[in-house]
Amino acid sequence: MTLDLAVRITEILLGLAFIQQSAEHLVRRDEALLFGLRIAVCVLLISGAWTAWALAALVLLSIVILGRFQGPYNGGSDRMGLLALVCLCAIHFMPTLRWQEYIAGYLGAQIVLSYFLSGWVKIINPAWRDGHALRDVFAYSAYPVSEGLRSWRERPRVLLTMSWAVMLFELVFPLALVSQPTLIAALTIAALFHLANACLFGLNRFFWTWIAVYPILFWLQARLF
Amino acid sequence: MLRNLTLLLPALVPSWRFFDIIAPSPRIEYRLLFAEDAPADDWREFRPRPAQVSLPTMFVRLFWNPVWNESLFLVSCAERFLDFPTDHSRQEIARRIAAQVTRETPDAPPLLQFRLVLIAREGDALSRAIAYVSPATERAAA
Repeated sequence: MTLDLAVRITEILLGLAFIQQSAEHLVRRDEALLFGLRIAVCVLLISGAWTAWALAALVLLSIVILGRFQGPYNGGSDRMGLLALVCLCAIHFMPTLRWQEYIAGYLGAQIVLSYFLSGWVKIINPAWRDGHALRDVFAYSAYPVSEGLRSWRERPRVLLTMSWAVMLFELVFPLALVSQPTLIAALTIAALFHLANACLFGLNRFFWTWIAVYPILFWLQARLF
Repeated sequence: MLRNLTLLLPALVPSWRFFDIIAPSPRIEYRLLFAEDAPADDWREFRPRPAQVSLPTMFVRLFWNPVWNESLFLVSCAERFLDFPTDHSRQEIARRIAAQVTRETPDAPPLLQFRLVLIAREGDALSRAIAYVSPATERAAA
């Protein structure tokens, strides 16, 4: 996949992800103007008209939104969205292809690290290795979407298996870059992982934001190997 | 604007430490009062979870999940407030509780008070500790 194509697909998917997020804010009168404006700029981005300026406007709006909520509204998904947005914007304003590739490479490396480091910080924690951490997630964290899901804490063997499956997948994720078939397989598993998180923990924004940046990994894989 | 730019930095150089430790988790509870010295209602949990969520509902929430995402934002506000108390976090929590109460029961008592309860594991049991109790404020002004 060429850099131009990867960037263009990412812009469209990220624009759609931002529209989905922004629409959720339109129900609040005091947030409707800001997020309505964001939707309008996303439509411009997706249409392909004035792409660089649409991205720059989205970066500015994101900084205003960060101030409005004194940080990200939705934690990690907002951070990945912002990182991708700033990188896409910078790519458009870089003078040479080499600099564009450096920035796309940085974004790709961060996507890989988002899995690898998440696995690393878990596996060095004994509570993750013995399954207690995932038990606590279901037992008392704010994430399970129903009380029924809390009963999963009574299935220690299942949770231990799930813990190790998640940790090992996250840790070996960088190896997926060795070929396109392994990358497709890894991203399919990763997308299903985000889908499960969206269903069980209500993290729908993570699902759309991470899928939006996958095209950059296809470019990075082709560029490296 | 400079402060907003500093908020951007963790996104540009992220740490990606999802679920590294499972810290005590805050719950928001609130009660309504007619006057500061009047007997108050019992504390009630703000947006308690439903017993079950069906698969079709989960599917719809992939595309439309504003209430849950707002609840997660309030959890962030509660965590931020307990780490570094600011008016912003306290007001966000009070405003959003007040908005929901006013929507559901417009003639509810005029004063609102909320508290943050930390849930943690102690051995095999779960413990509850009250970490903060807000002053009673006018619901309409929140």
